[in-house]
Amino acid sequence: MHMTPRTFTLTYVVDNRIFDKDVVQKCFYWYTGDYEVYFSILNDNQQQITLHAKSDEIIDEDLLKLRINTDLNDYQLRAIVSQETNTIRELIIAKAFANFDDEEINHQYEISDPVGFNPRV
Amino acid sequence: MITSKQTNRKFNDFIAYSQDGIYNLLPFKFIQLSDDRELLVNEVGDFLIVDLGTAKRIILKELNKELDGELYGDLIANFFITEDRIPYLLDIIATRYRTKKSFLDNFTALHIFVISLRCEHTCHYCQVSRVSEDKESFDMQKFHIKRGIEIMMQSPNSHVTMEFQGGEALLAFDNIKYGVEEAEAYAALIGKQITFVICTNLAPVTRDMLNYCREKNVIISTSLDGPSYIHNQNRHKKGNDSYELAIRGIELCREILGNDGVSALTTTSTLSLSYPNEIVQEYIDRGFTSIFLRPISPFGFATRAASKNKYNTDLFLKYYKTALDKIIQRNLDGYFFREDYASIILKKILSPFPIGYVDLQSPAGMINNVIVFNYDGKIFASDEARMLAEMNDFTFQLGHLDETNYNDIFYGEKALEFTSAGINEALPGCSDCALQAYCGADPVLNHTTQGNLIGHRPTNVFCQKNMGIIKHLFLLMDADPKIAKVFQSWIRN
Repeated sequence: MHMTPRTFTLTYVVDNRIFDKDVVQKCFYWYTGDYEVYFSILNDNQQQITLHAKSDEIIDEDLLKLRINTDLNDYQLRAIVSQETNTIRELIIAKAFANFDDEEINHQYEISDPVGFNPRV
Repeated sequence: MITSKQTNRKFNDFIAYSQDGIYNLLPFKFIQLSDDRELLVNEVGDFLIVDLGTAKRIILKELNKELDGELYGDLIANFFITEDRIPYLLDIIATRYRTKKSFLDNFTALHIFVISLRCEHTCHYCQVSRVSEDKESFDMQKFHIKRGIEIMMQSPNSHVTMEFQGGEALLAFDNIKYGVEEAEAYAALIGKQITFVICTNLAPVTRDMLNYCREKNVIISTSLDGPSYIHNQNRHKKGNDSYELAIRGIELCREILGNDGVSALTTTSTLSLSYPNEIVQEYIDRGFTSIFLRPISPFGFATRAASKNKYNTDLFLKYYKTALDKIIQRNLDGYFFREDYASIILKKILSPFPIGYVDLQSPAGMINNVIVFNYDGKIFASDEARMLAEMNDFTFQLGHLDETNYNDIFYGEKALEFTSAGINEALPGCSDCALQAYCGADPVLNHTTQGNLIGHRPTNVFCQKNMGIIKHLFLLMDADPKIAKVFQSWIRN
């Protein structure tokens, strides 16, 4: 069997106390186009992600690490938004798609009338 | 709204309305646009373009109400943050959300009748098979047309569109007349409105046909791929005169139906990629006020002539951006001229309303918005689905006009499966994407190019194309207010 030597491999260790499992998986999902991505658990607090490049293209390792750092932080921020707004989001969607009847317009409330137009007359 | 350009707030400083300076987040997403700018988009598609790092400051509650007064005000006013636990205007946000999804209210509008598979062209990229003879086998039978109309009339939508496609639809003009008259009579009986469209290369068009179209208010949609040296290369025909016939047909349509009676689409082959400016100029020279720059769909015969039709999405984006630059410059020079794909996206970005374009909807437009009755009676979930069937892939066949009823077509197991795969709010890669509100989902393309309905976003051509175009539109608006005004004019006209 002929084996093509891999041109680039990067290992990256993530602290689970800082980044949630979902955050890590969502982040590295976007690397699966260019890399084979493998996850392994190192210990209770750390997991290792290994990226094998799928092509022979020359890769700037420092730039790649910088991009991963940025992406991980961005996905952690997205997780905060998601966590904090989950209930509101469900409320918005539930209200948006709730069945409703055309309500009869009821004018039995006080309407401010700064220009002297009284809608009840 | 672009925060950094706003200078004339009509209200007091935000601090005047202040409670205690502590805010809560509302659902929003963000994405980096350039080295120094990022885009924030809330749950109903309102956006802010801000300096990179702003999302982080907002989310980590680092905003200072006094020092960041302008931004703070924009975030409150546009439902990105709230000072109440439950926002006072929650019902407004919910109504805005409902409006964005209101294309679902009316259900299927577009009903495509593949009236004949016969065609006198042999285009290398043709998305369907083509046959030139055997009228009996490749024209839609009248009883199938009638059955298709019966199903169309069951749509809850009060205004449906009956679109005749081919092959070359005009080769079966008798079928078109039969369909128009049957549908017209049926629609009058139940009070439904109906729009008729014929998709044609215009080669066989005659005055008599167009007089009939004028009488029945039938709209003509044709194809023009650019100047003759592109169009004739793309659209092979005996005599090599496809371009000349298309131009003659367009002029005849305008003479008989008026300028609005005919519209044209481009299809971008590999050859086209080298001529973005020439293709736009051809549309300008021919008196069109818009152009639709379409990439080739990776379906049907287009996949066979790979060297002519398969190209990198980056190359298409380069072509698209060059053509768009020329179009924008034309507008800045004082002439209205619109790119239709950008206009569809811009309507989603700049207006509270949904669009009727099936490729950019979530849930996906297939079935919900379009259904296809093929020449042989088979029913497909979308136009692309019937092209796949020409390659013997019947995954998206929903039934047959001979035997399948309305409920089984539109609410059957297959319809449910396809719909659940076409909701970008729940797709991997899309669920966190800030461009989600402006994009859509395409299970047929995912199935065709990646082997499953869900798709793999990092390598997905639909995602690459739309992300490239949408980001580009935002960057253009952010860079130059004059371009933002041009874009506004495109969605008003």
